Amino acid sequence: MNDETFLNERVEVVATFNDGLKLCVPRIFRQANGREVRITKLGLRHPTVVGRRTVHVFDVTDGQADYRLEFDSERLTWHLTREGDHYA
Amino acid sequence: MRNDYNTARPLIMHIDLNSCFATVEQQARVRLRGRPVAIVNRRTEHTAIITASYEAKACGVKVGMRFRDAKKICPDIIMLESDPPKYRYVYHKLLKIMNDYSAHVRMKSIDEGVIDFSESTAQILGRDLKDVGMEIKHRLKTEIGEAMRCNVGLGTNRFLAKTAAGLHKPDGLDEVWAHDLRNMYGSLKLTDLTGIAHRNQARLNGLGIYTALEFLDAPVQVLEKQVFKSVCGVEWHQRLRGWEVDKRDFPLRTVGRQYVLEGGHLTRQQVLERLHHLAEETGAKLRSQRMAARGVAVYAKTYEREYWKARRILPLPFTSDRAIYEIAQQLMSGGAPTASLREIGVNCYELTEDTDRQLTLFGDALACERRLVSAIDTINNRFGRRTIHSAHTLETNNYIRQKIPFGSTRYL
Repeated sequence: MNDETFLNERVEVVATFNDGLKLCVPRIFRQANGREVRITKLGLRHPTVVGRRTVHVFDVTDGQADYRLEFDSERLTWHLTREGDHYA
Repeated sequence: MRNDYNTARPLIMHIDLNSCFATVEQQARVRLRGRPVAIVNRRTEHTAIITASYEAKACGVKVGMRFRDAKKICPDIIMLESDPPKYRYVYHKLLKIMNDYSAHVRMKSIDEGVIDFSESTAQILGRDLKDVGMEIKHRLKTEIGEAMRCNVGLGTNRFLAKTAAGLHKPDGLDEVWAHDLRNMYGSLKLTDLTGIAHRNQARLNGLGIYTALEFLDAPVQVLEKQVFKSVCGVEWHQRLRGWEVDKRDFPLRTVGRQYVLEGGHLTRQQVLERLHHLAEETGAKLRSQRMAARGVAVYAKTYEREYWKARRILPLPFTSDRAIYEIAQQLMSGGAPTASLREIGVNCYELTEDTDRQLTLFGDALACERRLVSAIDTINNRFGRRTIHSAHTLETNNYIRQKIPFGSTRYL
């Protein structure tokens, strides 16, 4: 069994918006407690729909742990929804 | 019926994502790459594995195995709960890539599809289709992610294309021509053939057919009259020779949902709440296909391997969750086992298109119900699934999760 933490924490995110296939890539996020995480790799970005709202889900890593960030395209908010460092 | 092999150019391409859900998770979670991963529907030790990564398969882990047993042979295995929206996204990306090469694309399930190049443009047909296969593999990596891999098979019919796709897993690309057929079948067991599982194998063994090559060489009369005792025998005779017999769609006959209960300790009331939840999901699926049903079937399985089922058919078609649940509940109350239930399921059958039907003489109640159901669906489509549902199923959301639609792509 692995351990994952499920969260719903509003975070501040610095992201770059690019041409090409990876249109939006989160680079750094900061949690409410001031902890700053520098993202080293974006694994997958996929959209989900909540009714007619589109929420973009970003699975990212900082090399130490995996994180899931969710960007609500209607409300323009970022949330950290999952953190897993279970396979170190 | 043709007795010869189909010598035409292989124009059917089968694409199969390798260990799809595990690969998608390894793509998403970078640190899982190269590690044994098992995808499950529920985070318990007793749950069955629905997909294992190739690293887990190398340790002997198989699909369907309980996680607890997999852990014994592969202690480092990592359990992940399935994430259907992620797989649905990859499905749509794959479909989009495939649509760029032909107007005749058919997805067979959430992780595999078929491209028929027979009516493609001269530009596409002028290329070596193995190059097209390589290009699709490359696009999968660039447009979804570098960890994505797929098997590609080319054949003269859907069966041979799928068989070719399974020859060199993972990440294979094979083309089967008529002159390769005997070599290919020589390397395969009967159960390696799609559609031949243990029961069909036993049927074939009963007539002295033990290998794929013997199956190929069996006379059509033997297959039709003695082995399959139906037209299936003729179809197998043609299929094995590369003639197309599987290019057909099947109409929707049943819509349903089943659920493995959290344990055998649930009270009758809790079981009925879960049954109600299944009825609501079945109703939503039914209406999403614009269908109405006249029949409801329910079943229950116990830990003692007892299997119980019951069904009822009504004179008028219905679509509402309430109608489905009321019938299902009545059926369950009419003799379903009460102790140590393991699994329950609801199915609707006798489906017809849900057009605006003529109201019955006493149809006011029906018309009201239709308007109510339509309003609820509109709200759920606007604000998200299960925004409005019965108060009876308030607790069940924590247990019954969204399911990966295996087999059918109707709900993707």
